[in-house]
Amino acid sequence: MALIRWRNDLFNPFSDLDRLQDDINQLFNGTRGPAPQQGIFDRTISPAIDMVETKDEFIVMCDLPGVSGDDLDISVTKDVLTIKGEKKGEVKKEESQYYRRESWSGSFQRTIALPTGIDSDKVEAGFHNGVLEVKLPKREEVKPKQISIKAH
Amino acid sequence: MAKDKELAKEQERPRLRGRCDICEEEGKIILRLEMPGVDKGNLDINVNNNQLEIIGHKKDPDIDGNYLVRERTRGDYFHLYTIDETVDRDKIDASLENGILTVTLQLKEAEKPKKIAVKTGK
Repeated sequence: MALIRWRNDLFNPFSDLDRLQDDINQLFNGTRGPAPQQGIFDRTISPAIDMVETKDEFIVMCDLPGVSGDDLDISVTKDVLTIKGEKKGEVKKEESQYYRRESWSGSFQRTIALPTGIDSDKVEAGFHNGVLEVKLPKREEVKPKQISIKAH
Repeated sequence: MAKDKELAKEQERPRLRGRCDICEEEGKIILRLEMPGVDKGNLDINVNNNQLEIIGHKKDPDIDGNYLVRERTRGDYFHLYTIDETVDRDKIDASLENGILTVTLQLKEAEKPKKIAVKTGK
């Protein structure tokens, strides 16, 4: 849900077709590599996330293999969660000979718009086996309440 | 029967191929495979004859809730490599750190390149 620039050209009747062609081109341009540079605040790479809403909280999960927990910078404001960090590449030795090199290194950022009613003071983050898990508890007033019916 | 069903379920899961680096240095072949979300206990590394099979079972998050965004891949990491006789079968090491599995294959001593000094005839 990072901010992505909306390309809209009122005077070009083929803009939709252009966009479709761009999207299809991107599909074949190697989805394994870094994500296309589209978002204004995206620094080259924005990792894939899952966001789940449960009864009491929102959980954001993010795959970040090869990143150490110290290199992660997670900040939360009232309605935006930002996951920033740097993935350090393997130190390349002189004598090593690569047969295959697919991993990337560098900085990444992902900005996620949050629903209202998150208690930003109680946000917790855990990093385990290359998966970041951020728990964003809901504020008391937004949690669903069970209303019991009193029998007369 | 229950086992068959379990097996069928296992085979239904998509196979992922995470990014990998393969390099050779100092008489070793090092494989670095990205496997986020795989626990040490969920890893299977098998060598049969000349095939090195690496399977990392990625656990699906056990959360009772409603997905608002679902971009992460689901399935099991599966890598299959053919190795030849130069790899020492008894010296295969693996370590898992921060979602990266590092497999080190030691090459046999005799297969390392030897420097041959050229003698000059006097």
